[in-house]
Amino acid sequence: MRPFTYTQPKTIEEALTASVTNSDSKYLGGGTNLVDLMKEDVERPSQIIEVADLDFNTITSNDTGGFTLGAMLSNSETANHPDIRKNYPLLSMAMLSAATAQIRNMATNGGNLLQRTRCPYFFEVSMPCNKREPGSGCGALEGANSKHAIFGWSESCVATHPSDMCVALAALEATVTLQKPGGTSRTIEFTDFHRLPGDQPEKDNTMLPGEIITAIDLPSPKFQSNYHYLKIRERSSYAFALISVAAGLQISGGKITDIGLAMGGVAHKPWKLIKAEAFLTGKMPTKANFEQAAELALRDAKTLSDNEYKVTMGKKAIVRALEQALAKTA
Amino acid sequence: MNTDISIGTGNPIDRVEGRLKVMGLAKYASEFNVKNLAYAQGINSTIAKGTITAIDTSEAEKQKGVIKVLTYKNADKLKQYDEELPAISTSSIQPVLQSADVHYYGEYVGLVIAETFEQAQYAASLVKYTYSEEKPDIDFDSSRAKAYRPTEKSDYSRGDISQGLAEADVTLEQIYNTPIEHHHPMELHAIIASWNNGNVEAYASQQIIDDATLTIADTFQIEKKNVRVIAPFVGGGFGSKLHAKQHVILGVMASKQLGRPVQMTVTRNQMFTNTNLRQRNEQKIQVGAKSDGSLTALSHDTLSHTSTYEEFQESCGTVTKMLYKTPNNKVRHRLMPMNLQTPFAMRAPGEATGSFALESAMDEMAWKLKMDPVDFRVKNDTQVDPSSDKPFSSRLLNECLKIGAKEFGWEDRPQKPGTKEEGNWLVGYGVSGASRRAPYQKTSAKVILELKDSEVFATIQMDATDIGTGSYTIIAQTASEYLNIPVAQVDVELGDSDFPKTLGSGGSWGAASFSNGARAACENAIASLEEKSGLKIADAGLAKLMRSGNLTSFEAEGTAEPDEEFKNHSVFSFGANFTEVWVDKDTGVFRIKRMLNVASCGKILNPKTAFGQIIGGCVMGAGMVIAEQTKVEPNYGNFITRSFADYHVPVNLDMANIDVIFLPEEDKIANKMGIKGVGELGITSVAASIANAIFNATGKRMRDLPITPEKLIVAEKEPGVA
Ligand SMILES: Cc1cc2nc3c(=O)[nH]c(=O)nc-3n(C[C@H](O)[C@H](O)[C@H](O)COP(=O)(O)OP(=O)(O)OC[C@H]3O[C@@H](n4cnc5c(N)ncnc54)[C@H](O)[C@@H]3O)c2cc1C
Ligand code: SF4
Repeated sequence: MRPFTYTQPKTIEEALTASVTNSDSKYLGGGTNLVDLMKEDVERPSQIIEVADLDFNTITSNDTGGFTLGAMLSNSETANHPDIRKNYPLLSMAMLSAATAQIRNMATNGGNLLQRTRCPYFFEVSMPCNKREPGSGCGALEGANSKHAIFGWSESCVATHPSDMCVALAALEATVTLQKPGGTSRTIEFTDFHRLPGDQPEKDNTMLPGEIITAIDLPSPKFQSNYHYLKIRERSSYAFALISVAAGLQISGGKITDIGLAMGGVAHKPWKLIKAEAFLTGKMPTKANFEQAAELALRDAKTLSDNEYKVTMGKKAIVRALEQALAKTA
Repeated sequence: MNTDISIGTGNPIDRVEGRLKVMGLAKYASEFNVKNLAYAQGINSTIAKGTITAIDTSEAEKQKGVIKVLTYKNADKLKQYDEELPAISTSSIQPVLQSADVHYYGEYVGLVIAETFEQAQYAASLVKYTYSEEKPDIDFDSSRAKAYRPTEKSDYSRGDISQGLAEADVTLEQIYNTPIEHHHPMELHAIIASWNNGNVEAYASQQIIDDATLTIADTFQIEKKNVRVIAPFVGGGFGSKLHAKQHVILGVMASKQLGRPVQMTVTRNQMFTNTNLRQRNEQKIQVGAKSDGSLTALSHDTLSHTSTYEEFQESCGTVTKMLYKTPNNKVRHRLMPMNLQTPFAMRAPGEATGSFALESAMDEMAWKLKMDPVDFRVKNDTQVDPSSDKPFSSRLLNECLKIGAKEFGWEDRPQKPGTKEEGNWLVGYGVSGASRRAPYQKTSAKVILELKDSEVFATIQMDATDIGTGSYTIIAQTASEYLNIPVAQVDVELGDSDFPKTLGSGGSWGAASFSNGARAACENAIASLEEKSGLKIADAGLAKLMRSGNLTSFEAEGTAEPDEEFKNHSVFSFGANFTEVWVDKDTGVFRIKRMLNVASCGKILNPKTAFGQIIGGCVMGAGMVIAEQTKVEPNYGNFITRSFADYHVPVNLDMANIDVIFLPEEDKIANKMGIKGVGELGITSVAASIANAIFNATGKRMRDLPITPEKLIVAEKEPGVA
């Protein structure tokens, strides 16, 4: 590991100021992603600014009738919090499917949003990778890409975003609050937070240099009775999703009145299935309708040499997740 | 350290060294307190084939704490291989850093030695290499033309295979694939080496102490008696520690150059590139049978790879030669030199992989013949090893199958694939038969007896190793039995080349060899004491024997080795595995619901440690099916699975309850104590049992391991399945 300095600011202002003095800085949440990448020589900050202990570690109700998750709260505390379990069980379910209990205890909500892709070329510094080293080429494009994207990729990067939590946040239509050096804060729609690779795959998201995530805002409680997070993976725990689906349904009078549907493991960002959502809204929750929605959702998929299976898997996963969500009704 | 007051073998006692382990007092190779220690970190090549044209060590050498950077330019000249592509064994030399050539991605190309581990690791990342790169052979398919026959023994045949197939009413020809896998014992490979005036002392994590001393001595061309290797505890090996790898030589070389002790630990990443692997095997099986189920032909062709500078062949066809009665049999092994690391033995080499192919094919045949797969195997039993014409010392395969079927509830198995449902799941049952050679090696031991008050305390010494399997415990139990004193009064000291010689742990020979070695030493001690005193131990007891000779201490050595009876028989352990799986109808995911392993492996010295071996083997076998594989990057030749985040071994949730039944047996032909191996039987054929259950559940025949969701979801049903 390369030498670096370590600071523990007491306030967010101190943290923001520290980042301005050294543009090579990285904020440290739980470190479960950043430290791994530093050991691999992928991330090379010369200054580490610890933000995990800053005062953004509570869950409070917000003025939209929903709840606000502190960015520094751990994934475990968030997923197991009574307000979250009761009001957003879809989010709890997604978060608890991730990693292991030990990692979730360390991982922070802010860090989860910013965890980097698991693309093996990104992790191996001797390989070409535009995300790690812009201009070096994309090793995966014509290499080992069975776990890579089928939506929204570009010739310069075909990576996927690995988070489970984010798939649920996309389905729930959360927003992210950021604070930048100088003190002003802003709020971004969750679907605008992560970006597609385009010709700048080194940028995972739309954050500005030095910004700190302070909170994730959830709208008023949603999908408390009809929800499911389906995660297909190579082993029963401690593995990233090959494909995942977050599905939430609001049903009234035998019809779907509100729906949240998003996929993981398929794109550079959590992939909201907008067409499928629109198709199902106002329709009856039947298997035939679910299947049509799944067809619609996968229609624009563009596969790589090794990931054609994701189209079949994606369709089946959507239908199954919706069926399971439906079956949750008492 | 040992508190068990029971006497003798056969009791399920706790591990005698268990307390030390849980208290952190059991010392592993890199934990010894050696003064003035320096730390070495290996540097790995970043190309798969080519030559080093320039090395810039200046930046690394400038760093604080860095003592030396070793490359091929300033490395000691070591003994080189005499031949091209030498077959490697557990005691082969290990030349390293001897030229500018790079043979595979991740090969050691240098070493940084520094005052601390962190300094060495950081400086290692600063050494800059320039290569002249060549196109590597990393693609299995395009290497086929290079396939060659490693040795004459790579081919075997009896009868006439084409005639056997022609006589058959039903035939099958299929190809089965198993991927590259890695051993990954929990303890990282490590050495602390001290070179002192041509004498070497090394704490090294090795399975075979005597062979490690030989590798060091031969590679440095010094006398073996000047090398001492110590490994009281080894945190697993699975075959990767049978042989002293290159880091052992690098550690010794660094110590020689520096004139001070050096520690070298292989990192988890380097455990993929520098401690060998299980090779990918493509196995073609042909089977012929009469409509009544009797086999007329069995053929097994294996195509695999070795490195471009060393040869190792995994003998997948071994099982096919001997497991079933068939007059016509052909077995072939071919290797392709490729720019990949040299493969080496991994738990049940040949059997774990070969039995996946054979036992899957047997299941396919049973289905074609419309026979129950248990009955089909029972029908083709043989009590004589058809490959050697020697009788089996004991063979209870049919009993394993029949008892297993009864206990498992095999009669509930769906007769037609894909017909038993539970909600979104399809339920299936699978079975496989297993065999694993039960070797027995020449083994010596020393017993030291001490009389304190009126009690005798014994210490057993041998250079055997305990690789986590329970060697300490069963040796203590054996000595307790033959000396007729409580286990608590026996101390066992292992893992030091100054102790009497054994062949260490590996190949499932440990338990039988170590126990009989300890037995021989104890019997010799008693015989001498009886002669001296004129008393009989049975009447007087050990303490009286010693007292009557005015002895407060007494030593004896003994050696046990295979006799004529052993050599005149074919000696194997046998078993059967039964599995129930649930396969999701849609998502490509499956779950193991329960498993039963029936094992016939001679006398069970300690049911608790033996049980651990079998269930550990079953989990490792399940890993072969669930997700375990090392993937080669198709353009550059590095491994894209390079940490436990992507190299997936089973987690608790993947496994279900595993029941084990040991058939009561003592195989006195195998050895005096009637012991056969258990360590590798458990993993053997588990993969086939699971794959066969998946077929029974879904009608999908999965012939490529691992059976990941990405494969299962797009697999088609077998032709003929409704
Ligand atoms: C073996 C393994 C398996 C895993 N499996 C899964 C899985 O199945 N599903 C899943 O979703 N995840 C999985 N994870 C990933 C895990 O969820 C993330 O590593 C974790 O959420 C990151 O949080 P952290 O607080 O540790 O982030 P850190 O490692 O501390 O930081 C990550 C990044 O975020 C930045 N950062 C952190 N906090 C802030 C902030 N408040 N503002 C601005 N920047 C910030 C850091 O600078 C860094 O760039 C796995 C991880 C491992 C190691
Ligand atoms: S897919 Fe993206 S992360 Fe992976 S190699 Fe290509 S550029 Fe790098």
